[in-house]
Amino acid sequence: MRPEVGPLKILVTVKLVPDTNADKRIDPATKRLVRTGVETVLNPFDEYAIEAALQLKEKLNDGSTVTIVSMTSPSGKEIVRKALAMGADDAVMLCDDAVAGSDLWGTAVALAATIKTLDADLVITGTQSTDAISGDLPGMLAEKLGIPGLTYARKLDVADGRVRVERETETGYMTVSAALPALVSVTKSANEPRYPSLKGIMGAKKKEIKQLAVADLGLTVAVGTDGAKAQLTDLATPPARAKGQTIAAPDPAAGAAAIVQFLKERKFL
Amino acid sequence: MQNVIAFIEHKHGAIRRSSLEAATQARTLADQLGGKAHAVVAGAGAAQAAETLKKYPLDQIHVSDEDRFIDGAVDALESVAKAAGSALVLVGNTMIGRDVGSRFAARVDCGINADVVDFTTDGGAVSCVMPKLGGLVITTCKLTGSDFGVAAIRPNVFAAKETSGAGEIVQIPSSGKASSVTVEDEVEEAAAELGVEEASVVVSGGRGMGGPEPFTTILKDLADAFGGAVGASRAAVDAGWVSHGHQVGQTGKTISPQLYIAVGISGAIQHKVGMRTSETIIAINKDGGVPIGEFADLLVVGDAFAIVPELTKLVRDAKAAHA
Repeated sequence: MRPEVGPLKILVTVKLVPDTNADKRIDPATKRLVRTGVETVLNPFDEYAIEAALQLKEKLNDGSTVTIVSMTSPSGKEIVRKALAMGADDAVMLCDDAVAGSDLWGTAVALAATIKTLDADLVITGTQSTDAISGDLPGMLAEKLGIPGLTYARKLDVADGRVRVERETETGYMTVSAALPALVSVTKSANEPRYPSLKGIMGAKKKEIKQLAVADLGLTVAVGTDGAKAQLTDLATPPARAKGQTIAAPDPAAGAAAIVQFLKERKFL
Repeated sequence: MQNVIAFIEHKHGAIRRSSLEAATQARTLADQLGGKAHAVVAGAGAAQAAETLKKYPLDQIHVSDEDRFIDGAVDALESVAKAAGSALVLVGNTMIGRDVGSRFAARVDCGINADVVDFTTDGGAVSCVMPKLGGLVITTCKLTGSDFGVAAIRPNVFAAKETSGAGEIVQIPSSGKASSVTVEDEVEEAAAELGVEEASVVVSGGRGMGGPEPFTTILKDLADAFGGAVGASRAAVDAGWVSHGHQVGQTGKTISPQLYIAVGISGAIQHKVGMRTSETIIAINKDGGVPIGEFADLLVVGDAFAIVPELTKLVRDAKAAHA
């Protein structure tokens, strides 16, 4: 922990994912996602993390900085730049074939090692990615970094060297706090992510995007496909749902009766 | 892996259903692997939860009275797993379950599989079956490279069955550690209700609802008639009509209830990927040309505001007739 409470170094982890609005399909021959016509975008959940970091930086207004961290191929640079255009100060990309095909464990190990080189006070993440949808990385990162993890935050604030969040629960919220350095994952309820301004987009072109390789991290374990502890052994395409029946119900009572009939046939009633 | 440990999530001793599903599944898998079925329960009310667990087919129920939020649960799991030597840890794929499972996996350096809907075992090897990309593909991932592994099971997929199990209660010694996270307070904003992830029937509303009111009236009434939960599309959540916790879809929750009723929801891909693995899908919409008609089992074209209350009444009548 830093003894003095000064400007914060805030890190935001981001992932690049296939466009959420595209109708994706799997090539039956190669069993891989057909990428044609599917754009790569910033994971929508990460935009809330970026916005939360920027709002905190603006509120503190004490020289605190926001750094974007991503594990991606070099082609992800333009998407990382979008985060810079929103207002982040700089970015660090871990680009290495040795991390390709990492499972959750490998991703947590490599990303934590990257973050450790940056001496952060606060790490902010989204709650999950739209492609893997595991929601496990924030907890794994916190553990690997050896810092408290405050997950599912809909509100966060930093004061006197502590971060305090409102953690969403199924029925309300909890207020939880921890000493910095800490990790916070923010939910969609936390904020409304800003669009990059024209000035932001122009400014982002001059911001530094540093590239790191696995050799820069001092990793002692193998990550990537070979090191995976959850190994993909099969990938199958389930049969598509068939189109069912359509009933026109100008008379509501008849429409409701038709549904009840259907529910009885399927033994729901 | 040989033994199976179910992490039990509870609130002041009242166990979440997904944890009872984990406890039941722990037995099935332990029998396949030739090991023991354990449960780990920690925090305030753990002893009370342990009493409930005696009705489930477990060999040992490990109780930690330490109330240190996530930290206490992870420490308890770690001590039980290490004593067992080789173990698969089952957690519910819920907010707390993910926090505990993910931290355990990182701590012991093992694989973790999320949103598991099925298992296969081969000797001591465990593979997990998981729908990915919103049910577009079904992946199988083998847990390897460690004596441990974690599977976060999708709620409402595995059965929770009480049996005449007589698990031995084992007290976990206190570690005396301080919590890294301080819980300052806990606020209940809504009555405790079944979330969309755990409900077997989900009634969701979309843009066609036109405002917040139907979510607490006609949709809620229909969901209540089934003992189910109210869900929502992104459009309804983004409009502020209902909270994000109810959202079903790519930027919300991915669920597979037995029955999904979509009211005033067009069924865009964003929504479809969150609910297409539901067993049965019924849609009610004023437009017969909506995309949801392409994959729903039944699309009723009409005025949802008139059909839904009528349907609620008929469902209540049918349920009452069976009661």
